[in-house]
Amino acid sequence: MYKQLFSYPLLSNQKEFYYNLESLYDFLVSDDYIKLTKHHTDRNMYNDLTKCYIDNLLFLREKELPSFKDEQFNTFNLNKLYNLDILSPLESKDKFAKLDRWEFLATSNKNAMVLVDGSVFTNEAVNKKKPFGIQVLDYIKKSKHKHAEYIKLIENTGNFSNFTFGTTCYPNVIIFPHGSNDRYYKNPVDVRYENSCDDPVLESNTTIFDIQYDTHVKLKERVKLFAGQLNYTTYIVRENSTLEIDRYSDDYGGWNIFDSRFICHAGSTVKINFKNTGSQYTQENFYFKCSSDVEIDLQGRNNISKGNEYYNFVRVRSSDHDNKSTVDIRNVGNDETKTSFIGKFEISSASEGFSGSMDNPNLMLSKTAKMQTRPILDIYTKEIECTHGCTISNVDEEQLYYLQTKGFDTKSAKNILVDSFLC
Amino acid sequence: MLRLKNYSVKDVLENISVDFEQGKVYVVMGSNGVGKSTLLHSIMGRPDLQVEGDLSFMGSDITDLEVDQRARLGLFVAFQSPTSIPGLSNFQMLKQALNLKGSEIAPTLAEFKDNAGALNLPEGWDKRNVNDDASGGEKKKNELIQLQMLDKKVAMLDEPDSGLDVDGIKTLITTLNDWHNENNTLIVVTHYEKLIEGLNPDAVIVLKKDEVVIGDDTLAQTIFSKGFESV
Repeated sequence: MYKQLFSYPLLSNQKEFYYNLESLYDFLVSDDYIKLTKHHTDRNMYNDLTKCYIDNLLFLREKELPSFKDEQFNTFNLNKLYNLDILSPLESKDKFAKLDRWEFLATSNKNAMVLVDGSVFTNEAVNKKKPFGIQVLDYIKKSKHKHAEYIKLIENTGNFSNFTFGTTCYPNVIIFPHGSNDRYYKNPVDVRYENSCDDPVLESNTTIFDIQYDTHVKLKERVKLFAGQLNYTTYIVRENSTLEIDRYSDDYGGWNIFDSRFICHAGSTVKINFKNTGSQYTQENFYFKCSSDVEIDLQGRNNISKGNEYYNFVRVRSSDHDNKSTVDIRNVGNDETKTSFIGKFEISSASEGFSGSMDNPNLMLSKTAKMQTRPILDIYTKEIECTHGCTISNVDEEQLYYLQTKGFDTKSAKNILVDSFLC
Repeated sequence: MLRLKNYSVKDVLENISVDFEQGKVYVVMGSNGVGKSTLLHSIMGRPDLQVEGDLSFMGSDITDLEVDQRARLGLFVAFQSPTSIPGLSNFQMLKQALNLKGSEIAPTLAEFKDNAGALNLPEGWDKRNVNDDASGGEKKKNELIQLQMLDKKVAMLDEPDSGLDVDGIKTLITTLNDWHNENNTLIVVTHYEKLIEGLNPDAVIVLKKDEVVIGDDTLAQTIFSKGFESV
């Protein structure tokens, strides 16, 4: 059902409910759309947000999680929060119960959500499902100025190449329509995940990128963390589409949990290069759900220092034939850093022809660093090729000596080796 | 130029004394496992080798100097099996070793490419990673480029002929003879007759566990005909 939902014939037959995809681009650069984004910042919306904010605070208190400014999130309650299914329906009879958590929606031009069964919900209905897109916006009700800072919706620059995401109770849904071909590959889209304040607050962004079939897209993602941030991002990569992501996360004193979920349809390709410096707490998770003939290339280069923490989980779930998956994530641990990697290939019985490699070499430069690596291969068919190489070691003494013989002092030689390791 | 006196390397060499003079070419020979490579790397200061005795370079004691300090003084060792460093390109390493900046880079890159071309290394050698995915001969030639471009006073080459084809040997001889002059010293560990002939060494040194035997190129001929036991 889901797979068929976005096919063009279905959309054509139900124009009253769905975007006409061919006109989507025109809509996104139109005055109507700009008016719509302005609508989010008007007085009524402010009241809605305040209400949503209070509801969220009540929800947090009910769950015994920090909800006051002087209460800090720490590893314990972060995990507690993380384990909450914040998008799950509150009532079992809720129509949202039909919602597969990560495989759900497109938006209509009335800013509504389309569910897998074809039902349409307006944002008003979405808001009633509390708390959707949990957010704690401290000070928001005290300062209009702060409010303006928080509510940064999509900034339309006319060429659809520059977005800024802020906290919002609505998911940001970005659709790259069929017909845009490689326009957004040649002109990569900048995506910024930023906190705009240094309060010890928790913010959450729910974002969906829908890359329509036969479309090639490149995203340049920058994650700047001044405070706490939860990012739930879903990438729907449809038939014969290509998605490339260049993600860089830098430490500005905040913390981050970043869930990236990829729903990869037949013949799609996903290439990701990411770099991370860690933070007081960073958890970066990648979930891939692959149909058939999907190619995944996940390259991570993480230089973790200053006692930062970085935890990484990767799961590739292959449900059909001839998928390829390359996971190569390299971590460098300095000082008293903590890193971990858990990688998992889940290869179903229908996944003949799967080819995968999972590598997680770790360079531990300090005896006080703690690094863990754990590859898991869960395989239910024979006709596959699968390798893994997960290691933790210090700088290679032979390489160090070789560089020293060329005139590099120990510190410079080690820096060069770290750079080459992360290359 | 380089003087070893009562020089020992724990468990390998005992109490040997050799004086490598400026402007001369030396060939070092010795039976397998006697410590030829160990000698070169101990002179270079390899940290896992325990050394006793005197080691001086241009009149100064260098026994307490680190490897990189010796390298910056002008000592160079070309490895028998050069270590690969994935992720670091050949020119990048050389550029950093020479601490090049700005306008200095372009002419040095051109020189690098010229040298690589003269050694019949493939196009794009500057971008290839250091000794990664390279044949044995290519690795040896790469060491020669470093010797040519880094300003060195003493070059110690550990079996530079191994892995080289016939043309490669000729190129090796030409390169070393071009590099050598009255201001530097060339020390080559080899048992390859053609190379010894091509280098026309000032002295042949036969290394034994607790002594060195020094002679001219007829000493090499004796070894080729009668073996190491004969000297």
